[in-house]
Amino acid sequence: MDSALTEISEFIHMLPPMDLLPGNVIEQVVKEISISYVRRGQLLPPQGVTEETLYILRKGALSYVSATGELLGKFGEGDICSVFCQINTENIKVSADEDTLLYSINYQVFHQIIIEYPDVLAFFQQTSEQRLNKKMIQVNENAILNSSLLNSGIDKFYHSPVVTVTSTTSIQQAAILMTEKNFSCLVIADNDQPLGIVTDKDIRRRCVAQGIAADQPVSSIMTGDMATIDIKSTAYDALMMMTQKHIHHLPVTNNSQLIGMVTVTDLMNNEGENAVNITSIIHKAKTVSELVDISVMIPKLQIRMAKLGTTADHVGKSISAITMAFTIRLIEMAEKLLGPAPVAYAWLAAGSQARQEQFAHSDQDNALIISNDMQPQHSFWFKDLATFVSDGLAACGFIYCPGDVMATNPQWCQTQHKWQQYFSQWINSPDPKALMHCSTFFDLTTVYGDSRLLESVRETMLKTTQRSTLFIAHLSRNALNLRPPLGFFRDFVLIQDGENKATLDLKHNGIAPIVDLARIYALSEGIATVNTIERLQQAAGTKSLTKSSAANLIDAYEFLSMLRMVHQAKKLQLGQQPNNYLSPKEISKLEREHLKGAFKVIKTLQDSRKLAL
Amino acid sequence: MINHHILTRWLVGYEAQRKRMLKRAPSGPLRDFLSVPFPTLNTRFEQIPFLAVDFETTGLDAVKDKLLSVGCVDLQHQQITLASCYHEVIHTQGSLEANNVTIHQITDDQKDQGKPLAEVVEQLLNRLAGKVMLVHFARIERQFLRQACLELYGMSPPLPIVDTLVVAKRNLDKRDVAYDPSELRLSALRAKYGLPEHYAHNALNDAIATAELLLAQVCDGGENLELQQLIL
Repeated sequence: MDSALTEISEFIHMLPPMDLLPGNVIEQVVKEISISYVRRGQLLPPQGVTEETLYILRKGALSYVSATGELLGKFGEGDICSVFCQINTENIKVSADEDTLLYSINYQVFHQIIIEYPDVLAFFQQTSEQRLNKKMIQVNENAILNSSLLNSGIDKFYHSPVVTVTSTTSIQQAAILMTEKNFSCLVIADNDQPLGIVTDKDIRRRCVAQGIAADQPVSSIMTGDMATIDIKSTAYDALMMMTQKHIHHLPVTNNSQLIGMVTVTDLMNNEGENAVNITSIIHKAKTVSELVDISVMIPKLQIRMAKLGTTADHVGKSISAITMAFTIRLIEMAEKLLGPAPVAYAWLAAGSQARQEQFAHSDQDNALIISNDMQPQHSFWFKDLATFVSDGLAACGFIYCPGDVMATNPQWCQTQHKWQQYFSQWINSPDPKALMHCSTFFDLTTVYGDSRLLESVRETMLKTTQRSTLFIAHLSRNALNLRPPLGFFRDFVLIQDGENKATLDLKHNGIAPIVDLARIYALSEGIATVNTIERLQQAAGTKSLTKSSAANLIDAYEFLSMLRMVHQAKKLQLGQQPNNYLSPKEISKLEREHLKGAFKVIKTLQDSRKLAL
Repeated sequence: MINHHILTRWLVGYEAQRKRMLKRAPSGPLRDFLSVPFPTLNTRFEQIPFLAVDFETTGLDAVKDKLLSVGCVDLQHQQITLASCYHEVIHTQGSLEANNVTIHQITDDQKDQGKPLAEVVEQLLNRLAGKVMLVHFARIERQFLRQACLELYGMSPPLPIVDTLVVAKRNLDKRDVAYDPSELRLSALRAKYGLPEHYAHNALNDAIATAELLLAQVCDGGENLELQQLIL
């Protein structure tokens, strides 16, 4: 090819998705190019062009606006404008912001040239939502290849069969059987109906230490109300259940039939230096300073997981599980120091930890819910507990919440009754301050203690929110304050009013708006779960959210979270404080396209909330 | 200002000259070229068919020096169509001077694989028929093309030309500001209009670069221009 056209070819070849085409196809494309010059202020298409056309900006800038005059985005050097590839049904107006040198190609001709290259063709035929979805399928497939606990089913870990004994078996017989089989636990079952579980530890603590005779039935020392896990669950679910209930053995069921047993050791052996291991050594830590030593592993774990190509969802869940383990261990230490709790209570996590979307170095958001039996004199015990635990968490790198959403704040250390009052007050008179609390307190989970305390409050709360259209309207209006940017222009982030910013705030302009939307859908539909992806999955197909919109939002959320995870891992690796500010220069042109798609999804769903108001 | 009267006569002269020459031109490429009328002087810019042309030569003297390569591209309806690109190296006798090779980057090997002058000029005239020749610094292209035609057909045809250097010079003179002649170079003018840097001294590349420059120049305040205001 002539060297003149080589220059143009090289320019075209750099631009995704053209970079997927071989050199000879690029040459064919270049031969079809017409060069034109559009003066500042002039509209596209340029004079003399009437067919469906693809434009590539060689120099200059274009902006495109909707039929109502709203700025939709801008194109700069090297951007591909596909607005005119199809008949412009949306009535989008494109005009030159600067004098612009433009390469135009008849789209029908271009289509014929690239027809053998489905990936390139798809780029021009698919919507931004479809492109983003394809990208996330690919990301998730890679993550499965690097899979660990989250993607491994329990079926890969459990032992079968489980050794069972009847409830009338003596403690001694049970102990002999465990020694023979070299098992650390047995399940007690009558007529295939599991009644409870007995472990080495139970024989030591409940029998020998209590002076109970060895000929007594084993059922007298077993743990009844046994937690079990279904065989279809992931290894991660098993870990979460073990951490939460502080147990090391978990019977596995299939259609409620006992079929095996999984232990924490089984899970640990699967992964080396990982979340399970860290959780396990946290359980063994005896002092706060030991916990502090362990906490330095969290950023390292996050870096490692990001490098392995783990999904952001998995990283968030792992870090949240570790925070939970720290909290539980600290509460156990506090209870040892302060004596048993005077009345039933539960330690609650709020915000990102509750949603299982936590990353390293996040702040602590927590609260206490206490049984209505609480007496005024009990408040000292809870104050001491809260102080011990939140100081311990702070020492482990979870900084005190700047908004003082902590169990140490008397306002958030209250009885079940009071919490009930709080929620009905927020829902019935949603003033700005109440709405501010919503983003934290409508995402709550029990970390330790009696989970029924929170669940009954939540049940009542969800019944109320489902009916309260005024509250949902206020929440929606509030959520619309955080708008995504329009896209990118040159190396800048293009925001609503057409101004440029040097960096993108991934959290406030991308992730938080989706978290807010998911919460609104959940509260409107009475969905109890707090994890964003699960909320969207459960809201899909309800009157609040169509299935396809839910799928788009999940893709957008996963993509934004992935960028944040990779960005933070880079920062952590450099020994810097991780933040949410992404410079467009950090990401490829294709990633910018996907981001633009994600912004569009958020904007579309925010706009439809706006219409619903 | 440009004197309409003189210009009109000049181009009428070209058209008259074309018709006169057509009567005595031997059949062949030159006759074919002459049989297509040129655009009239009052043709508006967007209707003028241009052929942007650039030559690489061994020197500045059209008689002594040789034409090395020809590049051209159509500029019509304000569109440069790359499908119309033509670029050819010419097979000439003798070897090339080293210090010249560094400028045009055409080596003896390339030149020896080139096409005969007659064939290249025929191709060029074929593309140029009925069009205005667009060049930057017209002297080289005008003289070398005339010389080639004299050698090949015994007569040199009339050539309506627009020169981007002259267009720029007129704009500057109008504003009555002092300027350095180096500001009139193709690359300097392109930079002034914010056009991307181009790989100079390849005939086709320079032809495209010249066409882009004219689009920028005309865009810069001259939507209603007619050929008579642009022509050399």
